[in-house]
Amino acid sequence: MSPNAPAPLSAGAPWIVMKFGGTSVATLPRWQNIRELVSSRRAEGARVLVVVSALTGITDALKQLCAQEDKGKRIEAYQAIAQRHYDLLDHMQLAAPETLAERLRELARLAEEGPALLGELAWSALVQAHGELMSSALGAAFLSHAGLPTQWVDARECLAAIALPNQNERTKLLSAMVEAKPDPALNARLEKLGEVFITQGFIARESQSRTVLLGRGGSDTSASYFGALLKAQRVEIWTDVAGMFTANPRQVPGARLLQKLDYEEAQEIASTGAKVLHPRCLSPLREPRVPMLIKDTNRPELEGTVIGPEVREHAPSVKAISARKGITLVSMESVGMWQQVGFLSDVFAHFKQHGLSVDLISSAETNVTVSLDPTENLLDSDAVAALASDLAKVCRVKVIAPCAAITMVGRGMRSMLHTLSSVLAEFGQLRVHLISQSSNNLNLTFVVDESVVDELVPRLHEMLIAAGALRTDDSALFGPSWQSLYGSGETVMAADAWWRAECRDQLLALAAEATPRYVYHLPTVRRQARELKTLTAVDRMHYAVKANTHPAILRALAEEGFGFECVSPGELKAVMAVVPETAPLLFTPNFAPREDYAWALTTRAAVSLDSLYPLEHWGEVFRGREIVLRVDLGRGLGHHEKVRTGGSGSKFGLPVDQLDAFLRLADTHGVVVRGLHAHLGSGILDVKHWGEVYSQLASIAERIGSVAFLDIGGGLGVPSHPGEARLDIAALDETLRKVKAAYPHYQLWMEPGRYLVADAGALITRVTQQKGKGSWRYLGVDTGMNSLIRPALYDAWHEIVNLTRLDEAATALYQVVGPICESGDVIGSDRRLPEAREGDVVLIAQAGAYGKVMASPYNLRDEAEEVILE
Amino acid sequence: MTQPIQPRLTQVFRFVRASYAEGVAELAYAFDQGEELIERVRFPAPPALTPERKHAFAAALKLLHLIAGISYYKAGVPPKIEVADGPLDDATANLLDDLYLHGLAEFAYRNGLDLRGRIAFPRSGEPPGKVEAAALHLPKRTLVPIGGGKDSVVAVEAIKQVGGEATAVWVGNSPLIAACAERTGLPTLNIQRELAPGLFELNRLGAWNGHIPVTAVNSAILVLAAVLYGYDSIAFANERSASAATLEYEGQQVNHQWSKGYAFEQLLGDWLHTHVAADLDYCSLLRPFSELAITRAFAKHTPYFDVFSSCNRNFKILGPKPADRWCGQCPKCHFVFLALAPFLPKPRLLTIFGRNLLDDDSQAAGFDALLEYHDHKPFECVGEGAEARAAMYTLSQRPEWQEDALVARFRSEILPQLDVAQLTLEPWLRPSGEHRVPDRLQAALSTIT
Repeated sequence: MSPNAPAPLSAGAPWIVMKFGGTSVATLPRWQNIRELVSSRRAEGARVLVVVSALTGITDALKQLCAQEDKGKRIEAYQAIAQRHYDLLDHMQLAAPETLAERLRELARLAEEGPALLGELAWSALVQAHGELMSSALGAAFLSHAGLPTQWVDARECLAAIALPNQNERTKLLSAMVEAKPDPALNARLEKLGEVFITQGFIARESQSRTVLLGRGGSDTSASYFGALLKAQRVEIWTDVAGMFTANPRQVPGARLLQKLDYEEAQEIASTGAKVLHPRCLSPLREPRVPMLIKDTNRPELEGTVIGPEVREHAPSVKAISARKGITLVSMESVGMWQQVGFLSDVFAHFKQHGLSVDLISSAETNVTVSLDPTENLLDSDAVAALASDLAKVCRVKVIAPCAAITMVGRGMRSMLHTLSSVLAEFGQLRVHLISQSSNNLNLTFVVDESVVDELVPRLHEMLIAAGALRTDDSALFGPSWQSLYGSGETVMAADAWWRAECRDQLLALAAEATPRYVYHLPTVRRQARELKTLTAVDRMHYAVKANTHPAILRALAEEGFGFECVSPGELKAVMAVVPETAPLLFTPNFAPREDYAWALTTRAAVSLDSLYPLEHWGEVFRGREIVLRVDLGRGLGHHEKVRTGGSGSKFGLPVDQLDAFLRLADTHGVVVRGLHAHLGSGILDVKHWGEVYSQLASIAERIGSVAFLDIGGGLGVPSHPGEARLDIAALDETLRKVKAAYPHYQLWMEPGRYLVADAGALITRVTQQKGKGSWRYLGVDTGMNSLIRPALYDAWHEIVNLTRLDEAATALYQVVGPICESGDVIGSDRRLPEAREGDVVLIAQAGAYGKVMASPYNLRDEAEEVILE
Repeated sequence: MTQPIQPRLTQVFRFVRASYAEGVAELAYAFDQGEELIERVRFPAPPALTPERKHAFAAALKLLHLIAGISYYKAGVPPKIEVADGPLDDATANLLDDLYLHGLAEFAYRNGLDLRGRIAFPRSGEPPGKVEAAALHLPKRTLVPIGGGKDSVVAVEAIKQVGGEATAVWVGNSPLIAACAERTGLPTLNIQRELAPGLFELNRLGAWNGHIPVTAVNSAILVLAAVLYGYDSIAFANERSASAATLEYEGQQVNHQWSKGYAFEQLLGDWLHTHVAADLDYCSLLRPFSELAITRAFAKHTPYFDVFSSCNRNFKILGPKPADRWCGQCPKCHFVFLALAPFLPKPRLLTIFGRNLLDDDSQAAGFDALLEYHDHKPFECVGEGAEARAAMYTLSQRPEWQEDALVARFRSEILPQLDVAQLTLEPWLRPSGEHRVPDRLQAALSTIT
């Protein structure tokens, strides 16, 4: 079984503690996996202690057994539990080992006996402990049989629970604590027994020798206790995910794997939302400085998260953002009372009296605001009403709910405040009820209305990255995104880009002729177009030509069957000069003068209006015509505050509350509203948005009657940062089809722009010089914001590569700048690139959209010419 | 092929024919000589029709044809109405004249039309006799229409509590109603109504558009269902205030929920006894109750909190978030929020809606309309202004509410203008007034507290 058995270990060989959860020990393949992992650690020259949970579902089954008053039912429950273990043994082709048989006999006896003898709690603790006792016995037999001699260790002989003040019988028996200090005697005892050991999570023994449980997160905590007792080299928590992430992946699929954290950060992240680790399991490791490693059992090749003491070698960074919902705030306002001795203590006594526990607190001279977590007591009793009545006698009370706490975690949060300006500006648009920043400087928490959170957290996560506050460019700290590890959608592989391999030589040759130059790769445009045509729910696609009006691109998209959306007479003319007469046209201007409409109505374009003014003042221009109405869904149908503010603050669209007035005007002038249009914004990667816009438009259309089509705009996001997930087109189609099934009588239109052309374009430029200033290094190239204004205008992030040295190691950290006399002329900041030389060709990627069309003659520098690659 | 019709210029609205076969009722209408508009109503798993019910069924089908025509008639509102199989007796003509005039009153008001004198169903002159129709010995069980809101939940739970046999029924394919119906635990019946596709075309051609008395159409569908499947009663959940007019316009009462009012309940209930079956009862179980009494009863039905919605936005697609069921902007959202608030712990209420509508300044106008402060009552199925004022007053006396923006505003700005003696909640919680609940179901009334 073990042809290459490693050499025996010496005394004093390091320990590795490996913990496996319930699903990891429930099947034969999983145990085979454990065997591989354990022997690889043994091969590193370490003694291994495996800590296991009960087979998945067994702890619940044991709890149900405990709840049965009827002896017959308890015995039945026992038999079902025993059978689970026999079944697994069958799969392993093993006979029941005596260690397991002994456990089963004891469990049978306990089931038979009931709680009378031991007392309810002690009996229940002992019954539940059998889940781990049995799984570890089974594991010892399997591993030994599989050629890895494994000693079964009873955790209760190693972990001694301590008595704590305020403990009652229940907490003493069911959520016990252990003081785990390095224990050389245990170390010596085990060393004599062997090299690989297996023991139980979740259980310990107290001073009267009774079996106790460690409560929630108990198995991870056991692993930590053993790590501390043995002063292990590391503790490995093997679970179903690769570690901790920068945000809850369910909210933010682009959340990054956190590869390195210190104990305090990890504990803070675990406390504010992450479920992968219970916060209490870190403290035993802190003092003996034993690192913890979180790993994915199914994907052991992934790096995982290392949690340890070392911190200093990295720049400060926000590590994670999390949200907790269902929070109620109690704001107490009073003048001058807070300084009175005992006042606060009286106030808090009321919280205690009504059974409400306080979490966050913020205070000012005249106000103290506290947060309450959602509990049954809060939701379904009159506790809050009673509390408010009591408090109202001494201060003004306001109960604010439902709220959510958004927490950013990172060591040295206060030193990062300057990088958070865009994030703070985002909060500036919301109702922020409370801000809290603890003195340990690990977190910054904002309490806001719960309704904004689902959309806010992903956006903040993006903004933290864009602002350089969450330094995902530091690959030592941040790993791949959850989406790229576990998501269903495909991810952009940098190697896929046409310019990297396929066209690199061609690009270098073009650059040798002249720079700066825009280069457009038509096969990429066509590929994107064909991908969008797989959206079967969409009846008609229009290319939003403002992204790029190059005739070759217009022609290519016309060939792919696209219509064209234009926002000015100039764009309409440019399109009509190139595309066949059958291609549908849309004219969707904003604040266009009267003559623009009058002219557009002489063309075949469908004309859209987005305010009352044209019909109020130029009604005769539109008389008897059909138009498209662009609405602003922000107000009226706004599903949260932010959209509403965004709505009024944006110059586009007719607010929904003016719809009736618009329809009356339309009626007066015989104008028929044939289509409804809404456009959300840009760069959206979450498919749910279009489903919402679509169904909101449809419900408005039902009030109008004459509407035949709904245009849900564009804004399809194109990921820019490496590792970011692409928009899931199949999922988008599914979402749209669902809405279409509910509103089959409306045609669906879309108008993508950037999605079609961004990746197809690159700006090539050449290095002109370098400059050092303090620790900053500037890399000068021969064009800048005059050719590509997006970084300056939108803080847009474009990938930048040194095309000449694509294969050299990226060792330098550059600020890539252009020659324009503006301090904003920075194309990319803090970019890791190979050491550059004058004349190197630098490529700025994703420049196919809003590049050339937004270029300006500023500083009278030559404009970049455009080249087409067929 | 005929010329495209200009709906608003049509001269005649014609009830062409109604037929039924294998669970599908086909209702045909036409304007002038235009194409037929055919609506279909689909009854799932239809039993064979027994001979003794045939006559009643034919009468119910004819009624459905006449009532459902209102959706089409309103597209053109032509001056003349024709019924292909001959004029109606006076009782039937009276019912329809009233329904079309009052049920379309809001539609007329919104479109600046005057329908008085315009709606006249053809009459044979047969006097409105009080002759009972034959009894059909229908099974003693009740159809309870589910709307997805609080009212039908209260009605269902009241019938369940007295052990009444009932089926939760709804028309159309709202996922919200389906979820709510499933939560009742009762057998369910889902009837589908397919509007004539030609109606969408008429809309595109510039038809009149607006509110129709959809409860009347649904009632007529349920009458047919009761005869077909065998139910002796149809128990709606329309409350007392449904009978109150929303506003008066050029001398005419305009009530958004006229077909939920007592007048229509009486007209239809009596008509069924004389034209369909002496033992088929049509009633509203909640008629003696105010909105506040109903919301108080609803506040005890926790299991429905995460599925129900009274929001009038048509949520055809449901998501898990409160905002996917409550738009938070419409009068229904405002009213249900306000009416539930006195009867639920504040944090619980806020989890239902996902936000606090009373702590949002921008909602002031909406709540003002409910309180009939500065504005008439909104065109929605919401309680009377005095009820809303009583609920608001109650909140204004509660410390956990009184600092919220709109409650504080009520205290400082509106309350001083009101007579506090008129603002107590208790009178609203007592049942009163007429109702037509049949003896068999009367015990259910006393469970609503």
